[in-house]
Amino acid sequence: MNDLTARRQFLKQLGVSAGAIPFLSGLPGVGNLLAANQAGPKKRVVIMFSPNGTIPKEFWPDQAGKDFTCKRILQPLEPYRHRMTVLNGVSNNIGGDGDRHMRGMSCLLTGTELFPGNIQGGSDSPAGWASGISIDQEIRNFFQSQEATKTRFGSLEFGVAVPNRADPWTRMSYAGPNKPVAPIDDPKRMMERLYGKMEDKESLVSIVDDVREDIKKISSKLATEDRVLLDQHLQLVSELEKELASQSESDELAHPMPDIDPKIELVNENTPRISRIQIDLLVNSLANDMSRVATLQYMRSVGQARMNWLGIEEGHHGLSHEPDNNAEAEEKLTKINEWFAAELAYLVKRLDETPEPGQDGSMLDNTLIVWLNELGKGNTHTLENIPFVLIGGEKATGFKMGRYVQMPKNTSHNRLWVSVAQSMGHQIETFGNQIYCQGGALDLVSEMTAPNPAPAKPKPAQPKQTG
Amino acid sequence: MVMPSFVPIFRTAAAALLFAVGSAGALDLQNHPGKAIYQKLCTECHADDGMGAADFPDVDPLIGTRDLQELIGKIERTMPEDEEHLCVGDDAKMVGYYVYHAFYSQEAQNRDKIITPDVTRLTNEQLRNSVSDLISTFRNAGFPPKNDEPGIKGHYTLDDRERAGNNDFERQKFERIDPQIAFDYGEGLPGLPEGMTSDMKQFSMDWRGSLYARDTGVYEFTIRTRNGVRLFINENNHNDVPTIDGWVAPDNEIREVKGQVFLYGGRRYPVRLEMFKYKEKLAMVEFRWKPPHGADEIVPDRVLTHHSSPESFVSEITLPADDRSYGYERGTTVSRVWLDAVTTMAFEAADHVVEYADELSKAVTKDENRDKRIREFAAEFTARAYRRPLKPGERESYVDPHFAGSESVDDGLRKVVLRALTSPYFLYPGTAFDSPHGPWAKASAMALASWDSVPDNHLRKFASENKFDHHNPKRLEDLAWRMQWDSRAHYKIRGFFHHWLELDKATEIAKDTELYPEFSDEMIGDLRTSLELFIDDVVWSDQSDYRQLLLANHLFLNERLGKIYGKPEVKGSFQKVSLPDNARNGIITHPFLLTSFAYHNNTSPIHRGVFLTRNIVGLSLKPPPEAIEFEDNHFPPNLTMREKVTEMTSAKACMSCHSMINPLGFSLEHYDAIGRWREEEMNRPINDDGILETDAGDRIEIKGPRDVAEYAANSPAAHEAFIRQLFHHTVKQPLLAYGPETSQKLEESFRHNGHSIRYLLIKMVMAATEPVIPQS
Repeated sequence: MNDLTARRQFLKQLGVSAGAIPFLSGLPGVGNLLAANQAGPKKRVVIMFSPNGTIPKEFWPDQAGKDFTCKRILQPLEPYRHRMTVLNGVSNNIGGDGDRHMRGMSCLLTGTELFPGNIQGGSDSPAGWASGISIDQEIRNFFQSQEATKTRFGSLEFGVAVPNRADPWTRMSYAGPNKPVAPIDDPKRMMERLYGKMEDKESLVSIVDDVREDIKKISSKLATEDRVLLDQHLQLVSELEKELASQSESDELAHPMPDIDPKIELVNENTPRISRIQIDLLVNSLANDMSRVATLQYMRSVGQARMNWLGIEEGHHGLSHEPDNNAEAEEKLTKINEWFAAELAYLVKRLDETPEPGQDGSMLDNTLIVWLNELGKGNTHTLENIPFVLIGGEKATGFKMGRYVQMPKNTSHNRLWVSVAQSMGHQIETFGNQIYCQGGALDLVSEMTAPNPAPAKPKPAQPKQTG
Repeated sequence: MVMPSFVPIFRTAAAALLFAVGSAGALDLQNHPGKAIYQKLCTECHADDGMGAADFPDVDPLIGTRDLQELIGKIERTMPEDEEHLCVGDDAKMVGYYVYHAFYSQEAQNRDKIITPDVTRLTNEQLRNSVSDLISTFRNAGFPPKNDEPGIKGHYTLDDRERAGNNDFERQKFERIDPQIAFDYGEGLPGLPEGMTSDMKQFSMDWRGSLYARDTGVYEFTIRTRNGVRLFINENNHNDVPTIDGWVAPDNEIREVKGQVFLYGGRRYPVRLEMFKYKEKLAMVEFRWKPPHGADEIVPDRVLTHHSSPESFVSEITLPADDRSYGYERGTTVSRVWLDAVTTMAFEAADHVVEYADELSKAVTKDENRDKRIREFAAEFTARAYRRPLKPGERESYVDPHFAGSESVDDGLRKVVLRALTSPYFLYPGTAFDSPHGPWAKASAMALASWDSVPDNHLRKFASENKFDHHNPKRLEDLAWRMQWDSRAHYKIRGFFHHWLELDKATEIAKDTELYPEFSDEMIGDLRTSLELFIDDVVWSDQSDYRQLLLANHLFLNERLGKIYGKPEVKGSFQKVSLPDNARNGIITHPFLLTSFAYHNNTSPIHRGVFLTRNIVGLSLKPPPEAIEFEDNHFPPNLTMREKVTEMTSAKACMSCHSMINPLGFSLEHYDAIGRWREEEMNRPINDDGILETDAGDRIEIKGPRDVAEYAANSPAAHEAFIRQLFHHTVKQPLLAYGPETSQKLEESFRHNGHSIRYLLIKMVMAATEPVIPQS
């Protein structure tokens, strides 16, 4: 089969709809598919965020080790248990300005304090933006600095139901101090960013017919010399129609493909569908090598989503503040986190089912996914024991998966980022605020599941005096 | 661009013509002595039928509207070329008569032809306006009040909150209208209303109102602040992405946060600025903008109002430039680029309509059954796009099938909107109507003439009640007046002056900064504003007297311009400044035009003269027989500009036009290349005298620009030119397409009504409802 057809079929398998296809060919990045980068296995990292902490007793497995059991929240990921590492004991120890939610969000990927500022959270001192770069952008810059790992976008920031506000609760990704990066939560906008402006073919075709009809009716009532302009219009429309027709012939060869409707309305009840569309677009963008770094942000820290598709009417954040003995609330929160896990499972499945272009194995082999949260637990606002889950990417990272690892209490999460960076080939020894990097990268490549106690936890910085 | 010489510019002496035809009996041209002269002296270049011989492609057809005397005069002076002595006196009279009646005059041309409006598409301006306004008819716009107190409404809240999340704290609130948002609060609170005291520490403001965008283009907004701010322009939904999101203030230092919006001119847009101070030491906020063609400044009070306005649809799509070969913008060409752009705009509009479907559809019916409501809305949308109610069967063909074939009602709506906006019924206004004289056709014509847009709800009501009857012309006139008060009419009228006075040349002006150190982008921006203020002041006064455009002795100056143009006592922003006798005479001596029509290092009497000849005085000019570039170094250094130009244009071939151009251009020689008055050039006194000889046989002595201004203010030729150009801009069709006597009627009305420009426009809008109908 010819190059063009092969490209198209491949894209369809990745879930880009037929309607969008005519406009894809010739775009940068798309042509790289078959002439894939042969410079060794690709390395990719995807970071997925969900808010308001987890329910520890429904999340954490009982025992460290290789044969752990997935409790309720992790059940949707059961098929991938052997490719998963659940990390306990890793905490966000960053102190300084801002309340726990703000620090939970904006220090999470940056590993450094927030600037003092004017945004007051529920407690603590008011804060501004993060004072350093986030790990996804750090890795992005590293990849972009080398020909072999450079991509068109470097990184892509996806969102689902993210409010249109720029503040330390809605931003986890930073290109540098005071430089938050906004996620795109509108599939249409993301599609336009990736593939340029696209109009669906179906609508265009129907327009063409209607215009022709109208012109015929009008022209029949006009004197000859008055028809000239309309005749020209008709001719142009016929040209357009021919172009559309020549593309639809190759569409007949299509395999069945998932449905992407990028025009979807951004309302709460569509969140589950939007989530799937965004995941499809994310996988698609990685497959086309438009980027090797991606983040997927669900809502924001303190997210108050009403997940009525789960039969839950109350806002997420409100529920997360119910006391432990409120069984009903706990049940709902468990369901919510199960749902996030199911979305993660969909992402993992898509990557697992997609062959790595030009190589053996699947995309999942080369893509490390990190699922994280801004809090360990909602009602205490604790930043300890953040529920970190690593999945996939073994070929790229060398990490040993299929285990539940208990790190020493309050291991600084900066060290996890150092590990991730190093696994991507970026040989840094520290990331974020250095005082939290003592002990260096976490060991994720050996088989052990309960390492020896790490050096003493450093004292968090005191909030700076303002004014 | 020079207009072809046959474009009608002289008033047809209709009465004289009829008389002449009558006296010649049944026009016996075949045996007229003029024909023999014509065949002997003229046929070689002009051909038997006057269309121009094949060997002489530069010779234009002998068609025009000089009257008989003017034509005879022209022939006598200039024909045959280089041998004018061969045809003078009676010979000229005879051949002139023959040419006039055989092919030259309107009547000769129209003998076998009826001129009707051309089938044209919407111009770019009309397309943008129509799509946006069509959607807006489903929103609650209201009619903005005149004489509004300028400024934006601030809602102030002071509180003693110590931490967020704790709702138990005291608040104090008040409101007031602030002319601008430019405050430095230092460590304290905003100014409090009379009688209020406060010991609160934190405060927040919510300024809301509307912003008037004068021009179409990109508006760059900047907020300078130490604190947290957000700005929403043309977004009424608080959940939308803000135009500027500067909520997080990283430190208390002054920073600038910026955002850009594309807006259509002549409209108001909702604006909302939020600001808060929380436990920071200092607070300040400045709301600034840089409009298209303008400089960065604090958003002035004159563009702000505290009234709200609905959001409107704006598309940033670039459209290929409209055809201007007729001398004005017309939708007479189509191209693939244009079709693609129109299609993309239709998609954008469809997305917008679907996003706001619930709000928009409620304007049609408040039915609780959403499905039904959306379908009704879709049908009404199509009707408004066609500018008339749907005919029986049209809903079944154009609207319903799209719902039947769609997965959801929103999808169906999307397709209906796409169809409506790409249909020729929408894009080629006029094609939707069975007759151009029906009420809906008239409403459409008035809306296009007044606003370059679709009928609004008031106009549609007028049409649906069929109030366009002939027995009550006053009602039609009142309607036209009402329409003129809409800001979109202001925008369109401004557009006319932009074209007429070539204001867009401003971007190309560059001056020698050694000779003119005062020259800068800000100065040119100010000059343009000064000219616009002048025009506005004349046009929107009660008299709206055209002659004042040419004769008024004042300028609008601000401090910067005051220093340059001899009025250093002017301080601050623009004011109307009276000038001593005749130092300035309206637009022709306005420094903007004088600067624009000049070289970078000297005046240019030729550019100024051409502009005055064609645009202001209303005489026609052919392109020069030889294109000659002005090269200063070809002349002895001690010659004045006048002397150089005189020498350059002294050849007979040049003189046929330069005998008019030069005296007009020289009359302005007292104004240097940036429009300042000077007494001398190179230590020699300026000579601005001249004699203007027109084809009509007028001989006007010029002793300065005042004489030119008075001639232009009072001569019928100048009036005719003004009216013709204004009509073209307004109706975008030839005058004759609205009846052979329309031009004359407009001129008479103009002169009988104090030369009121606005009343002239009213008459034109009304005339637009009476096109000539093709006879089948």
